[in-house]
Amino acid sequence: MDIAFRSQKSAAVEVQDLHVRLGGNPVLRGVNLRIEAGRMVALIGPNGSGKTTLLRCLLGLQKPDSGSVRLLQEGPPGPGILKRMGYVPQRLQLDPSFMLTVREFLAIRRPLTASWFWRPSRQIDALLHEAVGEMDVTRLLDRPVAGLSGGQLQRVLICSSLLNEPELLLLDEPTAGVDTPGEADFYELIAEVHRRRRLTVVLVSHDLSMVYRHASRVYALNGVICCEGAPEEVMNAESLRQAYGIHFTPYQHQHPHSHGSHGH
Amino acid sequence: MDIEPFMLRAVLTALFLGPLCGFIGVFVTARRMSFFSDTVAHAALAGVALGFWLGLPDPTVPMILFSLLIAGLILWLKERTALLNDTIMALLLSGSVALGMVILSLLKGYRGELDRYLFGDILSVGWSDAALALVVLITVGSVLFWKLNALALLTAHSDLAHVSGIPVRWLNYGFVALLTVTVALSIRLLGIILVTSLVVIPPAAARNLARSLRQQILLSLFLGLIGAGGGVVLSYPLNLPSGPCITLTLAGLFILSLVGSRLQRASQNAS
Repeated sequence: MDIAFRSQKSAAVEVQDLHVRLGGNPVLRGVNLRIEAGRMVALIGPNGSGKTTLLRCLLGLQKPDSGSVRLLQEGPPGPGILKRMGYVPQRLQLDPSFMLTVREFLAIRRPLTASWFWRPSRQIDALLHEAVGEMDVTRLLDRPVAGLSGGQLQRVLICSSLLNEPELLLLDEPTAGVDTPGEADFYELIAEVHRRRRLTVVLVSHDLSMVYRHASRVYALNGVICCEGAPEEVMNAESLRQAYGIHFTPYQHQHPHSHGSHGH
Repeated sequence: MDIEPFMLRAVLTALFLGPLCGFIGVFVTARRMSFFSDTVAHAALAGVALGFWLGLPDPTVPMILFSLLIAGLILWLKERTALLNDTIMALLLSGSVALGMVILSLLKGYRGELDRYLFGDILSVGWSDAALALVVLITVGSVLFWKLNALALLTAHSDLAHVSGIPVRWLNYGFVALLTVTVALSIRLLGIILVTSLVVIPPAAARNLARSLRQQILLSLFLGLIGAGGGVVLSYPLNLPSGPCITLTLAGLFILSLVGSRLQRASQNAS
C-alpha cells in the first residue's frame, strides 16, 4: 500500500460512541473521535469536561460503560498496543525520600538497560545516549527525579517515553508545572520531536492559548466532542464559548502561519 | 570465646532480617507505607494470642497468617469502601491489638509472653526462626531484585507503570505480602511496637548519604545489617530487650548519617 496514502487515511486513535459514568454521573456521553496518524493535535476542555476520563480510557486505565476505543489500527488498549504508545503524565507521585536519579528512571523503563543496578553508569549512558541527547537531559542524569523543576521533569518524562520508540504519544497537561518562557521552549521541543520522529502526538490540556501555535487540529471536549477542526475555527466556535462559559475570551491570534501537518 | 547457642541464633536471625528490612524499607518509605507496616505488626499480636489459645507451642505460623489476613483486609477495605487509608489502618491496628490482649488475658500463664512479643526477646528466637529468616531473606530478597524496575516505576507513578505493561494490582499485592511476612518474622527480635524502626530508619539514614537509588538500596541493606546485628549483640551484656537496643542503634546510625550528609554538603560547597 502507498505509504503517503496510508499516513493520510489511517487513524491513530478511533473512539466511537464512548460512554462513561463515574459515581453515577455521566462524564463521557457518547464521544466520537478520530485522530489521523502522524498529526500533532490538542484535546481541550474545561475542568470537569471529561478530559482525564477520556485519556484514562485511551490508556486502558478506565473501562468504558459502552462504546469502543481502537488505537493504532489494532484494537483497544492492551499490553501489545501500550508497548507502541508513550504516556507523559502531568507529574510523578515521587516522594523526596526516594533517591531515584534521572539515569535510573530512564534505565528502568527500557529492557536493554533493565540490569542497570549491576552495571556502571557509563555503560547505561551509552545505551541511553540517543534519546537523552534529543531531549537535552544529559546534564540532569545524576540528579534525583524528585528534585527536578516542572520543565526539567517534563523533558525527562518525554525522554523516557521516547526510549520505547512510540508511534503515539499522549501528554497530559504537559506544561502545568512549567513557567511561561519554559512553556514556549517546551512546545518547540515537542514539535521538533514530532517532526523528526513522525509520530502522532496528542496534547491533552485545559490551556487554550497553546493550541494555536502548536496543534494542527483541535478537539474540544465537554462530555462529548463539541467541536473540532483547525485551531482558529474551533476557537471561534459558539459551542466552545458555551463549553468554557461566557467569560472566556479567546487568545488573539496575531501571527498568521501555517497549521498544516508540517509538510509531510 | 564461647558463643551461647541462643546468642548465635539471635545474631544470625538479625543478620538475615536486618538487610532484608533495609531493602524492602526503601520502597516502604517511598510509598508512604510506614503506618501499613506498623498495622500488620500490631495485627501479629492477635495472631500470637490465637496461637497460644489453640495450644501451639510456637505461634509463628498463626502470627504470619493473621498479619497477612489484616494486610489483605486493608487492601480489600481500601478498594471496596470510601474510607481513608489512615482510618482503615487505625481501625484494624487497634482492633487486632484489643483482640490479642483479650485472648491473652483469658489464657492462664501467658501474661509474661506479652512483654517478649511487645519489645522483642532474643531468648525466644529458635533455630526454626533462624532457618525461616534465611529462607525469607533468600526468597523475598530475590523477588525484590527481580522486580526492582517494576517496583521503582510503581513507586514513581502507578499509571505510568500500568502503561508500561506492569500488572500494577498484582505487584502491589505481592509487595504487601512480602512486606507482611518480613515484618511479622522480625517481631521476635524487635517486638511489635518497634519493628517498623528496622523498616523505616535504614532507608531514611541511607537517603541522607546516597546520591542514587542504587546507593540508597546498598546503604540501607548495610545499615539494616549493622543496626540489627549490633543491637542484638548489645542487648545481651546490657541485659535489655533486643527491640529497644536495635532501635537505638539505628537511631544512632541515623544521627551519624545526618552528620555525614552535612559534611558531604560542606565539602561540596568548599570545592
